[in-house]
Amino acid sequence: MPPPVLAPDPTLALLLFGAFVVLGALGFWPKIGLFWRARRLARLTERVTLEDGLKHLVNCKLSGRTGTIESLGGALEVSRGRALKILSALAARGLVITDGVAVSLTPDGHTYGMRMVRAHRLLERYFADRTGIAPAEWHERAEREEHRISEAEADHLAASLGNPLMDPHGDPIPSVSGILPPASGVPLSGLAPGTAATIVHLEDEPREAYDRLRAMGFNPAVPVKVLESKPGVLRMLIAGVEQFLDPVLAGNVTVEPVTERETHTVLLQRLDSLPLGQSATVAQIAPMVQGPQRRRLLDLGVIPGTVILAEMSSPSGNPMAYRIRGALIALRREQAHGILISRLQLPAPAELMA
Amino acid sequence: MTSVIAPPSAHCHGCAVHSPMAEMVQIGGRQDQWDYLVALAGNPNTGKSTVFNALTGLRQHTGNWPGKTVTRAEGLFTNHGQRVKVIDLPGTYSLQAGSSDEEVARDFLLFGRPDVTVVVLDATRLERNLNLALQVMEITGKVVICLNLMDEARRHGIAVDPGKLEQTLGVPVIPASARSGVGIKELQNAIHDVATGVRTTTPFRISKHPADVEAAIGALVPLIEAAFPGLPNPRWVALRLLNADERIEAAVKSGEIGVLSSATLDNFTHQSSPPAVLPPGSDGQTTLLTEVIAQRWKLSGSFHDTIMESLYATAQRIASEAVLVGVRKTKFNVDRTLDRLLTSRWFGFPLMLLLLMVVFWLTVTGANVPSAMIADVLIGKFHPMLNGIGTSIGMPWWLSGFLFDGVYLASAWVISVMLPPMAIFFPLFTLLEDFGYLPRVAFNLDGMFQKAGAHGKQALTMCMGFGCNAAGVVATRIIDSPRERLVAIITNNFSLCNGRWPTQILIASIFVGALAPARVAGLISASAVVGVALFGIVMMFASSWLLTRTVLQGEATTFSLELPPYRPPRILQTLYTSLIDRTLIVLWRAVVFAAPAGAVIWLISNIHLGGDSIAGHMVGWLNPTGILIGLNGVILLAYVVAIPANEIVIPSVLMLTVLTGHLAGGQGAGVMFELDSAQQVGDLLRAAGWTTLTGVSLMLFSLLHNPCSTTIYTIYKETGSVKWTTVATLLPVAMGFTLCFLVAQVWRLVAA
Repeated sequence: MPPPVLAPDPTLALLLFGAFVVLGALGFWPKIGLFWRARRLARLTERVTLEDGLKHLVNCKLSGRTGTIESLGGALEVSRGRALKILSALAARGLVITDGVAVSLTPDGHTYGMRMVRAHRLLERYFADRTGIAPAEWHERAEREEHRISEAEADHLAASLGNPLMDPHGDPIPSVSGILPPASGVPLSGLAPGTAATIVHLEDEPREAYDRLRAMGFNPAVPVKVLESKPGVLRMLIAGVEQFLDPVLAGNVTVEPVTERETHTVLLQRLDSLPLGQSATVAQIAPMVQGPQRRRLLDLGVIPGTVILAEMSSPSGNPMAYRIRGALIALRREQAHGILISRLQLPAPAELMA
Repeated sequence: MTSVIAPPSAHCHGCAVHSPMAEMVQIGGRQDQWDYLVALAGNPNTGKSTVFNALTGLRQHTGNWPGKTVTRAEGLFTNHGQRVKVIDLPGTYSLQAGSSDEEVARDFLLFGRPDVTVVVLDATRLERNLNLALQVMEITGKVVICLNLMDEARRHGIAVDPGKLEQTLGVPVIPASARSGVGIKELQNAIHDVATGVRTTTPFRISKHPADVEAAIGALVPLIEAAFPGLPNPRWVALRLLNADERIEAAVKSGEIGVLSSATLDNFTHQSSPPAVLPPGSDGQTTLLTEVIAQRWKLSGSFHDTIMESLYATAQRIASEAVLVGVRKTKFNVDRTLDRLLTSRWFGFPLMLLLLMVVFWLTVTGANVPSAMIADVLIGKFHPMLNGIGTSIGMPWWLSGFLFDGVYLASAWVISVMLPPMAIFFPLFTLLEDFGYLPRVAFNLDGMFQKAGAHGKQALTMCMGFGCNAAGVVATRIIDSPRERLVAIITNNFSLCNGRWPTQILIASIFVGALAPARVAGLISASAVVGVALFGIVMMFASSWLLTRTVLQGEATTFSLELPPYRPPRILQTLYTSLIDRTLIVLWRAVVFAAPAGAVIWLISNIHLGGDSIAGHMVGWLNPTGILIGLNGVILLAYVVAIPANEIVIPSVLMLTVLTGHLAGGQGAGVMFELDSAQQVGDLLRAAGWTTLTGVSLMLFSLLHNPCSTTIYTIYKETGSVKWTTVATLLPVAMGFTLCFLVAQVWRLVAA
């Protein structure tokens, strides 16, 4: 019979275990763990810095501004001296020309920069359509990933996404040859009361502003209409829903005025507000519902004009079961929230004209 | 995917040869020759599989689509002396290729080139179903419509005019009630007529899209016709190209799409060589693809929406012409009344628990007798008989030991413990599914699963896991959202499977029940087992929550759950298919894995190195770790060798305990055994130094350890990813070690 093995002292074992857990947490806690910090630092190579610099200059050019050492330092969050070094490194590679103050791109620099812009916007489109990553993280992740994908990979990504034309913020994605359609639109803050417009672009920085706008339902292709403009507040319809907006935030939204259409003036509701046992007609699927989610709803027959009956509630009230074109389909609250409806009981649209 | 698009001659044998044979179950009939190939398409819940069964009877195969985790069924029937092969496509709402189901269906219609496509429509939901029929008719003209569930429509007071529908659609429309066999013969004849060209079809196609779409189509169609003369569906190809369909674009680039033109025109024979393929990159193709990009810039972003809107508008118009609703309104709506009850706030959960308890009770009690009978025959009678034969023909002891005590005994053990409960559990479960109750369970529980980042249908795969984790993992196919499906696969192991229940019950009665006075001992040990199972559910929710917030954060998610109408279950059909599809496949896999494990157990017990068996050495090495976490070396070794099947853990533990502890009893080195009563097992284990802590730790470890190798293999097959298989394997082991460790330390502190 082998000698019996004795159990180690439990107190000591627990202490060792505790120490092990603390060490593990210090190293691998999401985002702030030492391992993740070290990895982030290791990724910030010379090439990444140069590419970021180049992209900044291209973005300046696209928005009609002139890139300077100061703007470069500001965008990359580095000192003036460091910005100067980056610039001379770019010049040495024949990508930019500096005349002391203003900086301009050479044709090679422009092509390289456009490639970065293309990769960035494609990645954002990918995150929006094919993953569950939160909208606020698209930009940041694309900033990281854009340096790692090759030109061929970007083309492959574009093909698999169906060669999208716009990124999820409404910015056009440059074609393979680096061509962009001209930018259009006016800032939302400049829209006169009573004017209807379609959102064409949403500035994704600063992040806090972007998050707030998204939360209110702002998104490219969403119809808006300014109802009333008072100091400090804009009363407006966003995809048919009445909301109040801080005019400062309105500066981050670019819109294109449109000729007035019915959808902008009818007060719309969302499907999740439809009481049990009542029916409504689908007005549209909210433009912020994109990719597979939108396709699924369309396949289920949720298209403008479809009559939907809220037939049954689950014990917790979420999901709800709706009668859609003959079939009983369960939808979660957030899905129902993405479907805009007009209630059959409401007065005719003409009476609701603002 | 490549075998789906193979030329017809290869396709003929492809179904059986290219897909893994282990996945295929032959039910009957030679299936490698046929005269016509028929594809069966339809929305989910239209009774499509009933039509399939009515057409083919029992002459069917089930398996997977090559390279896809989508179930594929095919069968054969004979009509007018012709052999007709039927492929049952996955049920889909559309053919936009948004999910792997849709992709499989679309690719088969396009590149599998069926001679006839039967679209099954639910007569009670004509408008919704016509949407798919219209999409199919855009691809192929050789279509027969099977207007199924005519009886159900009549009951709901809906009258459909098949003649009117036939006139509009331009293809044969056959009214049917597949459940009672009505209309099946007519359907077979219509298939024959269309396949042989006796009856020509003039498929309805949408000719009026919005002006901008029409302009784009108009620009592309001449180019398509120039590049691929004779293509039967240039407008559809144009639409798919405008929609940036990657698969179609690739087919244009490679010239593969040109094959379609000659095939449909010549009504080719299956034995002919594949038609010549255009050389890739010819001028016509390049011009076409350049024009596609130019046209796409002109179209608005909501192009896909527009197409779906015209499809549904057309479907609505056609349906309203053919349907007369409200001929006779039924006063009492059974479905709605049942739904009110089964999903109500007060009765929903209690009814659900009651039903599940009945299913488990039937499984556990019903399995006892057949299990004992099989064990008696396979282990009690055959095993000594085999040994006797071995001795009489002069087989050396090591060979008979290896074969009969190792390989045979392990397989026999797995069969006797596993087969009866599964043969009861799976059919019961399938009956509930068939009736339409299971989607309601998912509906009721989705609120809870949603909070953990999972899908309501995970409740069903979890229940299935109580029968067998491997079957539970396969069942996750019902979850069509990639992220939620992965969560369900990874966490399925937290359902205490049928191979682990006996361990739990035995150990609980020895170590937990013994703590209580004799008259409540049974109740206490039963509650301990239920407690462990409930703890497993808690861990399932906790790890789902954790996974969706960490590693699975970036995976895509969509939710959809259809609550089909209640339908009387088809009992015989269900018994048959659930036995074949679920029970036998799982059992076969388990035996394949258990047999070598038996061999390994026998070998490590009988090969001696330096005076002790290999098993003895390993137990010695594992002992310090085992003791630290409240177990011992024997248990850890048993879990290592019993990775193939949890069923053989207790026999292995007993054998190893006797072997390494040099105790009396047992059947000899490497021969697994069980004792007649829990009392005897308890005496043996206590003599080997087991305490209550060992028992409790074993119960926890039995819940939280790696999945059995059958399940690991299934996870790999279903996810196709080494990464997720590793996570699913290691996550529960890590949890088990940590939890057992903590319990042991706290126990020792309190006890000291």
